[in-house]
Amino acid sequence: MNPIEQFELQRIAPYFINGVDVSFTNSALYMLLAAAGAIILTLFTTSKRALVPGRGQALAEVLYEFVANTVRQTAGKEGMRFFPFVFTLFTFILVSNLIGLVPYTFSLSSQIVVTFAFAAFVITLVVLYGLYRNGFGFLKLFVPHGVPAPVLVVLIPIEIISFLSRPVSLSVRLFANILAGHITLAVFGGFVVMLLGAGAWAALAPIPILAVVAMYALELLVNCLQAFVFAVLTCVYLNDAIHPGH
Amino acid sequence: MRTDKNESDNDNELRARLERLQAALGSKEAERRVETGGGLPVGGSFGKALSAGFTVLSEFVAAILVGALIGWQADLWLGTKPWLLVLFLGLGVAAGFYNVFRFAAPKDARGGG
Repeated sequence: MNPIEQFELQRIAPYFINGVDVSFTNSALYMLLAAAGAIILTLFTTSKRALVPGRGQALAEVLYEFVANTVRQTAGKEGMRFFPFVFTLFTFILVSNLIGLVPYTFSLSSQIVVTFAFAAFVITLVVLYGLYRNGFGFLKLFVPHGVPAPVLVVLIPIEIISFLSRPVSLSVRLFANILAGHITLAVFGGFVVMLLGAGAWAALAPIPILAVVAMYALELLVNCLQAFVFAVLTCVYLNDAIHPGH
Repeated sequence: MRTDKNESDNDNELRARLERLQAALGSKEAERRVETGGGLPVGGSFGKALSAGFTVLSEFVAAILVGALIGWQADLWLGTKPWLLVLFLGLGVAAGFYNVFRFAAPKDARGGG
């Protein structure tokens, strides 16, 4: 009845290179599953290219339109060159979150290493593309215009810290939401078992079951929403790289 | 009579042109808003409100953590034990509030930055 047990990494195929642990774990397995799910969702359902889309194709088209609109609205028309990246990121997180919601599975986004790797990649991309596109003009991002020079002395470090906090908040938000949700579900599930094993108290067992059902719906919402939030914020940060002067 | 008609024609033409310009300006403005809008949709359904709350919380905490981390590391390197930590913790808190302000304030009210 340990609610943390579900997040444990297990080595499926132990493998060490010079003492460095590169085993194939359940995390790696679920990454492959999520990638396979995303590929099935997008490639195979659209392979017929029907004019009147079937169920799968309609789903893929809605997903495409949705992400394309998000990118266009938050990062502008120029941001569309990052559409493949954002779409991949969004679909991968969404599919892995949805897989993670199935009982007895492993949720990828509940590992801060995974979410921080995503966030660090996004921020690195923002910095590199910003420097490549705007040269040192990218550093204008840290200098708010229309501010007197003495205030700038304080404001520039604040801007830099604020920028550095982005990957942290981006990764922690996704990780914390998923982790907290899964723990809550596990704890309430545990209540059911405890009540059933406590003699006459078993009569109360349906109450936590109802709570689990309600929270499961909420978790479904949160899991989809967090994938979306991650994608939107990626676009917002990419927008900063494209238009650093605001 | 003729000049009068001509004048009113001109007037109408001018008015029509003005309206066209107004419409063009309006659509341009809307386009600009869409292009530079950014930010999360605040408000709306329960789920959106929930995620907005989480966003504000994580932005606030993350800035403080990053500030503290920078100060702590700089102290270790420069051997100025508590002082840089104090300074950067303060800056981190300021950056946290700045993040929250940036999230909550409308784009036009920010005055750059």
